[in-house]
Amino acid sequence: MRIIEATLFALRIPFIEAFAHSIKSRTYSDSIVVRLKASDGTVGYGEAVARPYVTGETVESCLEFMADTLWAAVRQADYSTAPLDLESSLDWLKAIAATLPAGTSDTVVAWNAARTGFELALVDCLLKSQQRSLGELLPPQRSLITYSGVITSSTVESAAKNARRFKQLGISQLKVKVTGENDRDRIAAIREVVGDDLSLRIDGNGVYSVQSAIAACQTLAEFKIDSAEQMISRGNPADLAAVRSASPIPQMADESLITLEDAQALIAAKACQFFNLRISKCGGLAHTIAIAQLAQASGIRLQVGCQVGETAILSAAGRHLAAWLPEVVFAEGSYGTLLLSEDVSRTSIHFGHRGQAKVLTRPGLGVDVKDAVLEKYAHQTINLATASVPGLG
Amino acid sequence: MTIHSLIESQYAAQAKFFEHSSSFQQLESGKAPVEFYDQFIANLCQTHLKSPQILAFLYAVSPPEAAPQIRHNMLEELGLDEAGISHPGLLYQLAAAAGFDETAQAELTRAAQEQLRVMCTDPLMFGTIKELGLSILLEVTCFEWMLSRLSSRIGKALETHRQLSPNHLEWFYHHSEVDIRHAEEGLLSVAHYVDYYEIDPSELEAILDITFRENIFIKRYFGAIALATETQMMEPMA
Repeated sequence: MRIIEATLFALRIPFIEAFAHSIKSRTYSDSIVVRLKASDGTVGYGEAVARPYVTGETVESCLEFMADTLWAAVRQADYSTAPLDLESSLDWLKAIAATLPAGTSDTVVAWNAARTGFELALVDCLLKSQQRSLGELLPPQRSLITYSGVITSSTVESAAKNARRFKQLGISQLKVKVTGENDRDRIAAIREVVGDDLSLRIDGNGVYSVQSAIAACQTLAEFKIDSAEQMISRGNPADLAAVRSASPIPQMADESLITLEDAQALIAAKACQFFNLRISKCGGLAHTIAIAQLAQASGIRLQVGCQVGETAILSAAGRHLAAWLPEVVFAEGSYGTLLLSEDVSRTSIHFGHRGQAKVLTRPGLGVDVKDAVLEKYAHQTINLATASVPGLG
Repeated sequence: MTIHSLIESQYAAQAKFFEHSSSFQQLESGKAPVEFYDQFIANLCQTHLKSPQILAFLYAVSPPEAAPQIRHNMLEELGLDEAGISHPGLLYQLAAAAGFDETAQAELTRAAQEQLRVMCTDPLMFGTIKELGLSILLEVTCFEWMLSRLSSRIGKALETHRQLSPNHLEWFYHHSEVDIRHAEEGLLSVAHYVDYYEIDPSELEAILDITFRENIFIKRYFGAIALATETQMMEPMA
């Protein structure tokens, strides 16, 4: 089977409330949705979230790479040569990913968001054409996924208010964005609101130095923090290892973990106890699974994370991954219309009370995407069946 | 602060933000194109066509002290009370006057039904029907509170700038009258509900906060993009 048409939708879906961390404040989703059409008429959807401070990709460069490099490869590939075999589902995913060129760039660590957009669209399309669910390839180990709430960087009062909301919704795990300012007061206020039973973790988005990260962890440890994510910026794994060895809080790598080589280096340096796997950051399902398998063989614990502002498409892929992996300590994402003004799927897949959500069983990734919503929120639409240069449409 | 004043202050804040929004001012200014008014009419119809079903749900969960009033509102909405004016009928009358033909009216019905389907398929965020019921009751009574104060002005704006006759705008003028009573009764219903289900103040505050995270009027009547522009979440889309 061949892919005969691709459309890229660069979206701007407003958030209900601003989402801020130490590096960036966001008020809308800037996801790119990839729609592919196969020769048998089946349509599949994927999603990419470009983050300059993570992989180096911007929305513009991502669109350009998709149009010039990925589409050129995908339109040439024959996907009937990779027949779906449930016994070797990981090989099938790897074969799909192998049709997507890695590309090179001086400014981009890896074209992971762009490749994720196409990989997910291919997986969705090819599985839908056979009426198969991704859950058949990645059989779930659990029927319910429990998602965490996230409290963005804000005032102490606002953080406490958000904590009250999450408590009312029965959320049992919270991640708090920390910035180096007022961290102790904010965490203390949140802990006071939610009580001792709720799991708290922190995320610095790389804003601390090695010394200040250690100091922050030592200060905040009294509030029973289960992990500290990416306290220092991406760089030498030995620096993260230094934080780990001096910190009373387990460390989690996020922006430091983009490629399989990053994972190997972090493991070799004993840099952290947790990996945060994010599909769009790690280059799609096949690459993320490879990192997860390496981590689990090395005793690294896993969080299946998300991209702020992701739509139901990436959330669905994350749901399948979180359900399939043997051990997942924390899961994030599936916020849907809890954050977005409107989501792209016909039926909402956001988590419900207690942060819980069921596994998805419908064909492909398991979501029915509404083209009308894509068209409504797209600020740029590129039809690659008729044009190969971004900016048209 | 009493429950009554706590809730009313939230309603007032929602209504004030709506009243001062650029969308509402555009509606009243007469400078907006016809399409703006017609989209507003479509959104308003979709929002309120599902009122009988929502009131039926509220009737099912209402405490004994509030049940007769909510039952009366539901029957009134359906035109089954002493006045005999079907509110969905008034909305279709409005739509027809604005040029919505049978196909367009059927689309309004379908869209309202779809919104009900979304409400039913959306994963429940609250742990009990008690909390969900309170959130819906707050939203419904907040609409009544706002309509008792602004629906005449909206009707007048459509009369003046969309050239619709007062006969076709009865939904607005009717609501400005009946919702003055509904608004007060609504506040009382919420107080009864909170008391009956033993909802503590911090729980009420959290549910109010969750329910009114967004401006419900701008979102329903003018859409998500208008609300995002109003709250500086997004630049207007080209």
